[in-house]
Amino acid sequence: MSDEKKYGGMDRRTFLRTLAAAGVTATAGAAFMLPGTNLMVMPNSKGYLVVDMAKCMGCVSCMMTCSTVHHGRSSLSLSRIQIQQNSFQNFPADIHMAVCHQCEDAPCVNACPVEADHVDVLFGNVRTIDPDKCIGCTQCIDACPWLPKRLQFDPESKKVQKCDLCANTPYLKEKGGPGGVQSCVKVCPTGAIAYVDKMPDQDDTTSYNVNLRGEGWSLLGMTTEDMKREG
Amino acid sequence: MGVRSMGYAGEILHVDLSALKAEKIPTDSYVQWGGGNGLGTKLFWDFCKDKTIKDGRDEKNVVVVATSPLCGTATPSAGGRCEIVGVGFGHYPISWFTRSNIGGRFSSMMKYSGFDALVISGKASRPVWIEVTNGHVRFHDASLLWGKKARDTQLTILTQLDDKNNGWGWQPLPGKKESVAYSTQKPAVMAIGPAGENQVAHAALVHDAGNTSAQGGFAAVFGAKNLKAVSFFGTGYIELADPMAHVEARFRLKERYAPDPENPDLFQWGMLGRAAPINFAGSVSKNSRLQACVGCIMGCRVRYDVGYGNETKCQATAWYAAPAAHYYKGDEKKIGELALKMADYCNDIGINTYAFSSSVRWLEGLYHRGLLGKGKQIHTDLDFSKLGSEEFGFAFLDALAYKKDIGELFADGFVQGAIKAGLEEDYKNGLLNHPYWGLAEHGYDSRAEVEWGYASILTDRDINSHDFNAIFWAATLATLNGVPYRIDAKEVAQIVADKLKPYVKGPECMDYSDGNIYSDDVMQLLRWYIHYNRFWKNSALYCDLRWADLFDTNAKDNVGATADSEVGEQVFWNAVTGEGIEFTQGLEKGHRIYLLQNAIWALQGRHRDMVHFADYIYEKEIVETELPFFMWPCRDENGIWSYSDIRHRKIDKEKFEDFKTRFYKAEGLDEQTGWLTKQTALKYGLDFVIEELQEYDKLAG
Repeated sequence: MSDEKKYGGMDRRTFLRTLAAAGVTATAGAAFMLPGTNLMVMPNSKGYLVVDMAKCMGCVSCMMTCSTVHHGRSSLSLSRIQIQQNSFQNFPADIHMAVCHQCEDAPCVNACPVEADHVDVLFGNVRTIDPDKCIGCTQCIDACPWLPKRLQFDPESKKVQKCDLCANTPYLKEKGGPGGVQSCVKVCPTGAIAYVDKMPDQDDTTSYNVNLRGEGWSLLGMTTEDMKREG
Repeated sequence: MGVRSMGYAGEILHVDLSALKAEKIPTDSYVQWGGGNGLGTKLFWDFCKDKTIKDGRDEKNVVVVATSPLCGTATPSAGGRCEIVGVGFGHYPISWFTRSNIGGRFSSMMKYSGFDALVISGKASRPVWIEVTNGHVRFHDASLLWGKKARDTQLTILTQLDDKNNGWGWQPLPGKKESVAYSTQKPAVMAIGPAGENQVAHAALVHDAGNTSAQGGFAAVFGAKNLKAVSFFGTGYIELADPMAHVEARFRLKERYAPDPENPDLFQWGMLGRAAPINFAGSVSKNSRLQACVGCIMGCRVRYDVGYGNETKCQATAWYAAPAAHYYKGDEKKIGELALKMADYCNDIGINTYAFSSSVRWLEGLYHRGLLGKGKQIHTDLDFSKLGSEEFGFAFLDALAYKKDIGELFADGFVQGAIKAGLEEDYKNGLLNHPYWGLAEHGYDSRAEVEWGYASILTDRDINSHDFNAIFWAATLATLNGVPYRIDAKEVAQIVADKLKPYVKGPECMDYSDGNIYSDDVMQLLRWYIHYNRFWKNSALYCDLRWADLFDTNAKDNVGATADSEVGEQVFWNAVTGEGIEFTQGLEKGHRIYLLQNAIWALQGRHRDMVHFADYIYEKEIVETELPFFMWPCRDENGIWSYSDIRHRKIDKEKFEDFKTRFYKAEGLDEQTGWLTKQTALKYGLDFVIEELQEYDKLAG
């Protein structure tokens, strides 16, 4: 049965929003399955990462720091933020920044068969994966609608990981997670990554790419104009 | 694989091109050499069986491409450098064992693929390229790549390796089962262009759009070995000894020293905190971004939307700007565009702009003197009356890269070409300003900025290290623009001297007035400079354009980050490796590396009598420099510090020879020959060199 038929002609997200409007929300507690459906109702994350793809300089310091604070290892493959760069492309298509959207209706959470990928109410409802529960089936990766996928498979542990806004970071001195420090934001030399508590528009595929360039940026000879990019 | 030391990938890859075989060697026994230059020098010593070779193109030559423990980590402005060592090509009179360096992401990918260094020996019987993917090595036929430019070569290889769109999506690696190894990244390829294939001295290795390993002539060595390219691709990781300390130090360094991109101080003094890209051509489009090597604190290059000039910087953007400005008078747009297009083309054909940029002026002079032209003493079909035009620029570069026209004459180097053409006098009198080892002056006259010249002649090449040179730029530009000095001469001398302890006693080491440039104080500064380079910069691989940070106006007290107990070089080194060394212990390692290199140079034929500048440095006072001032801290006869113009002088040969003697003695080298002594070899744990040096009668004492 298609989603539209199952949800009274509405797509899944519209249906969930209708429920929310009717007061059926999970904002005060954990995600729960709506009785009689396969719908997970989950509270919104209290924080999000947004990026400015025109401001990134491709140093991948965010990636190496991300893997370092989480794993104690520096690696691009173990990073939960992914910066793609093609040296032979021209600006602005030469760099693409891929952060987890902490989706309102997170498909990865919905796809997880063992509830390893879950909403962490202790850390601002961030969508995260419990490595002790993860069975490495990668269904969450398949479910992620974005390319590159915003979840990563670690071939050594055979687990999947995703951005937790630095909630579980054994090698980060400060407190991470929503309301705390995000290592990628803090390390970025140009300020191309920002933490916001307002959910970006879930219907706009460009909403996570914002303009973080102030007037000072133009002193370096670079544009401060808005640039819409998907991702 | 044995025990993997913190910060290291764990293995070294040796490829024997003659046999097309690869072997893996545990890194552990080489860890004492750090990485980069030190690691590469020791590997060269072990793998090169005939160290008397005087031309890097000799099949017996061994080239080492080496990373450091910091590569592939977020160590600020150190995560992406890569060192190349071996016998080079293009020096005069002997092509020394030398070094070069390249940025980008080559070293980090090498480590993520499982290797700390690549040792290249032998010579392939036909053109090949090497693919390394997560520890697996394949030799590929490169006959279809031979003749291609560096960009096209890299794109062809990337396409071949990227057949499943790997590198631009979260996809399994080629040949791997799904869900085993994933990456969003692209392989890192280093290639030669036509200049390397034609084995010209000024050929450069090229990686991505704008990273080059240019000085040293290693691209000619690659060409001689029939090695077109090397590609590394890996999904691995680097284990850090103290990850939290590393992250904390990086945050702290950013807070204290990094430029604020939203409020950039364009007149900052120092290295780490510089904000503006290093581009002498000006911006051709505001639709652009800063671009950085792996782990850098601030990008120094730019990518544009216009389709040219991406990642070009510094001298590559400068060498044709002046001729173009002369030719296209007032057409700023055209001049900027052409300067970047020429830089692009240099990267495409794989050529070192430093090798010929000052020679262009010399050639122009020959043309005006009636010595260069059709049917002249040096025949050329190039029309030098059109120097500065787009047409001439491309034709000139093609001549050099393809060994055509005057490119044939200068293929082994400009000094060598001048001598062949009967113009040795121009080399001696400085019209062809190649002061050290037949190599082009970097733009900082050895008679003025003496530490640059001294270090170049007492090592193996243009030292190309801007540690102290940052003072020249800051003070000279301030003078030129009529703006106040951000730090006065006395204060900068004191700040720098404090950084150089215990090598120097005090700020007098920074006094470059005529009477002090042969002093023990300056000699000790020189020793620090060489040791710092050999370890922290060339081996740990801190980037020359950010480190050493001796003074820095981004800090409240103007004191730079170098050697700082919380954010200095050793802090990151220790957080990665767990070695727990002091900053000065790194300098000691640099000393040891330098001593080992002296052993190699001796085997190649070096004697202290050869260690001298071109004649003009001793015989002629400076006539002109690129900027109308050369400002440096100096004391007057009353001991008062000020920034003074230090042009208008020459080096006193006798005093410099005495300076050398004191330098050799301080280093533990023989004063008569400049060679390693047995006593020093034993003292510094270099006993393994003794037998070979004795065999060739090159061990002193």
